[in-house]
Amino acid sequence: MRKRTLHRGLTAFWWLTLAFLYLPLAVVVLFSFNASNSAASFTGFSWRWYERLMGNEEILSAFANSMILAITSSVLALVIGCLIGYGMYRHRHRKLGWLIVLIYLPIVLPDIVFGISEMAFFVQIHDLTGLLQPGLGTMIIAHVTFQIPFVALIVYSRFVGLDPTLFEAAKDLYATPVKRVVHFMLPTIKPALISAFFLSFTLSIDDFVISFFTAGPESATLPIYIWGAIKKGVSPEINAIAALMIAAVAVAAAISLAFSRRRLT
Amino acid sequence: MSYSGVIPPARSRAMVREARHLLFTVAPGTAWIVVFLVLPSAYLMGVAFMTNGPYGLPEMPLSLESFKRLAGFGFLGWSPGNLYTLLRSLWQTLISTGLVVLVAYPIAYYITTCREKWRPIMLLLVVVPSWTNQVIRTFGWMNLLAPGTPLSGLAESLGLIAPNMGLYPSNFAVTLGLVYNFLPFMVLPLYAAFEKLDTAQVEAAQDLYASPARAFWHAVFPQTLPGLLAGIVLVAIPAFGMYVIPELLGGGKGMMLGNLVATQFSGGANWPLGAAGAILMLIATFVGLFAMRRIGKRLGGGEEVVI
Amino acid sequence: MSETITADIADRPGATPAAEETPREAAGRKASSIEMQGLHKRFGRDTVALDGVDLDIRAGEFFTLLGPSGCGKTTLLRILAGLEEPDDGSLVVGGKNVTEVPPHRRSVNTVFQSYALFPHLSVRENLAFGLKMRGVPATERDAKVDEIAGFIQLGDLVERRVDQLSGGQRQRIALARALVCEPDVLLLDEPLSALDAGLRSQLQVELLRVQKRLGMTFVFVTHDQQEAMVMSDRIAVLNGGNIQQVGAPREVYERPVNAFVARFMGHDNLYAISARQGDRLTTALGTLTAEEAGEGELLLIRPETLDVLPGEVEGPNHLQARVAERLYRGSHAEFRLEIGDASLQATINNRGRHLPDVGDRVTVVVAPEDLVTLSE
Repeated sequence: MRKRTLHRGLTAFWWLTLAFLYLPLAVVVLFSFNASNSAASFTGFSWRWYERLMGNEEILSAFANSMILAITSSVLALVIGCLIGYGMYRHRHRKLGWLIVLIYLPIVLPDIVFGISEMAFFVQIHDLTGLLQPGLGTMIIAHVTFQIPFVALIVYSRFVGLDPTLFEAAKDLYATPVKRVVHFMLPTIKPALISAFFLSFTLSIDDFVISFFTAGPESATLPIYIWGAIKKGVSPEINAIAALMIAAVAVAAAISLAFSRRRLT
Repeated sequence: MSYSGVIPPARSRAMVREARHLLFTVAPGTAWIVVFLVLPSAYLMGVAFMTNGPYGLPEMPLSLESFKRLAGFGFLGWSPGNLYTLLRSLWQTLISTGLVVLVAYPIAYYITTCREKWRPIMLLLVVVPSWTNQVIRTFGWMNLLAPGTPLSGLAESLGLIAPNMGLYPSNFAVTLGLVYNFLPFMVLPLYAAFEKLDTAQVEAAQDLYASPARAFWHAVFPQTLPGLLAGIVLVAIPAFGMYVIPELLGGGKGMMLGNLVATQFSGGANWPLGAAGAILMLIATFVGLFAMRRIGKRLGGGEEVVI
Repeated sequence: MSETITADIADRPGATPAAEETPREAAGRKASSIEMQGLHKRFGRDTVALDGVDLDIRAGEFFTLLGPSGCGKTTLLRILAGLEEPDDGSLVVGGKNVTEVPPHRRSVNTVFQSYALFPHLSVRENLAFGLKMRGVPATERDAKVDEIAGFIQLGDLVERRVDQLSGGQRQRIALARALVCEPDVLLLDEPLSALDAGLRSQLQVELLRVQKRLGMTFVFVTHDQQEAMVMSDRIAVLNGGNIQQVGAPREVYERPVNAFVARFMGHDNLYAISARQGDRLTTALGTLTAEEAGEGELLLIRPETLDVLPGEVEGPNHLQARVAERLYRGSHAEFRLEIGDASLQATINNRGRHLPDVGDRVTVVVAPEDLVTLSE
């Protein structure tokens, strides 16, 4: 009897929490279709904010910047992180504590410290040498820095999960070092590489603080643009971009759900 | 033994080969992180001990000026502004972490009581909001808490806020934003802990202690402690350094350490002061990580705590 | 399958393979011999895996490295494969010194204990992997894979995914994957140890059949002396990184050179010789006459060579004993007999006659020609 009451209470609490989690997102989506520009009351359905979005050069360029940044940094981080992940696996019997500390550093460092230290450093280097002009280049460097550890750890754990004699079997079956990489290692860790790439991509798209501090005047990404617009005063247009980004996440969630379903069966 | 002490040539060749391999695989990433993160952080720490020059840029000579300013000693004598910010950061971290635990604990438990095929979906539902950009999520709360919205109206009619003020900007809005932001970070490790729960212990406890409250305290809670600790690390450390949420939801009186630091680096303020704040944040981070590791190790089976 | 099994076993040892055309003969290649000289290998500072191994393996031989875990047999196999480089010594395969040749350039293939099938490839791709790495064109590859699949009788397994295979099927795929490369030498690292007893003996027979038909040199590693005796033309018994004895199964079992080999081959009846007068040897059992007493200070009596007569019978090499334990095993029975303070194991085939009971007085008859002396 008591148990049933507890369970009912928990069920109610679960739905309340879900409401808490989705309410802010729902409001953003709802008001992106608002006919008036009121942020407080919904007066009727309209596409006008989306239409206005399409004509906004700044938003389109911010979108392009976000994409360039996310794709370039993810590819770079994939290559570098993959090498480290393999190195960590292959030399796991050595004392590599310093490497583990180094790998975890970008993960545990607070965003704001990460962002401002790179910003301060880049500014100084730029003053001294003219290199590292703030812009997409510095943002890519910063993003790769926080993506490397995730790629390395995913690749490492995939290798650890493999039968170590597979490496010997490949050698035994006449694969040269290069062929071992192409025909054995890369195909074997392909799932890990795919999920590492998507994680890197998501981390890049999601990041605001580090991008904000390493960006130049011409390299605003979508979150930076939205930030600026919010700071200037809320415009319903932001609801529309934000709603589109939420939709992208919803699609990603659906894909990930489908994947996990398929893995179960 | 036909040899002793001398390293045979075949082995020394192999050692050189292995060392070269280690260098080739690990060096690019190591160099990247050292050049683009370790050096900048070291530089930032150096800045904290320099003097504030014109335009807020650091200058020689070395001094502890910025740490004094962080403690409130300025040109105009002592003022509590910066200390208030520090205390507010600590308070917000404590209160939001506590609230997150209170919400996440029953949620994580509830998920484990549901049917197995629903659990991944339920976890996904909890996590998905955190996939959207932090700025957008916070913006959603701005929409919800602004003056004239139903929530503000409700608070007004209950006499909690002055008319036409809205629920944001305020410290309350920051706490809410933090709880919202970090809830999934607590649910996941707690869920993992609950899933591993040894139910035999719980049954034995029900047998021995009879009262559900005591059974929970003696049999369930200790088993979830590693997960709880991991969650606290994942929530408290980033909450202490939070920038976006207080900036958007807090207003002038809701500033936290992150905002204090960031302000010093934008619009010609005071780099050394900002760097000193960053050092404080780093210290808090490493003390937090270290403390949790120690506690986790003492509890045994604290592998989740090792971040 | 069954007719070749019996034929092959009956023909051994040194049987010539059946007359059918085999992949190996079609390729017109000969099996290779192996010569190892002074092989040393240490791991870390103090672990000696191989302490100067000299060993010759003949072309076309089924050769077994037998020993307890940690005896160095696997290290030796890995050195043959090229997966481990010796600290010292040389290795010659088929007349070529390959000591420093990396594994991917050695015509030697291995069947691994864990099978090591590539999880990202289908069975067919697994089988073709070695050929592909060697640059064999796709059509030729397919033909060879089909040929080996027929030879090992893989049937429709070739079109499956690796994760759909059972342990025994994986084992056969791993064997086929190595054989399809037509190596000079095939190495097998405890390939049957993960299988249950029934499947194990079936695959032992199959492996033998394959080896005899191909005439390929097989080097087989195992810790199971029964398996070693069933399979091998010759056995090398290893302990502590040293070779203890090399010989045909009967030789190693019936004439072990030292106590380690004797115990490892399953013998318990070892007695210290306290006095000797020509061929008359005195042990804790009493004094026995051997046909030809060697130098050694230990006497080995194999349980299955003993005759056990009921009651007390006098005669040469007759020992009076009491039955202390009896284990009835159906086809035979094992006895533990007490002779004075010593105890002696005896095995008697069950031919339906009287089997002594525990407590009975019996007489053990030892044939002089079955007594073996060996050193510690």
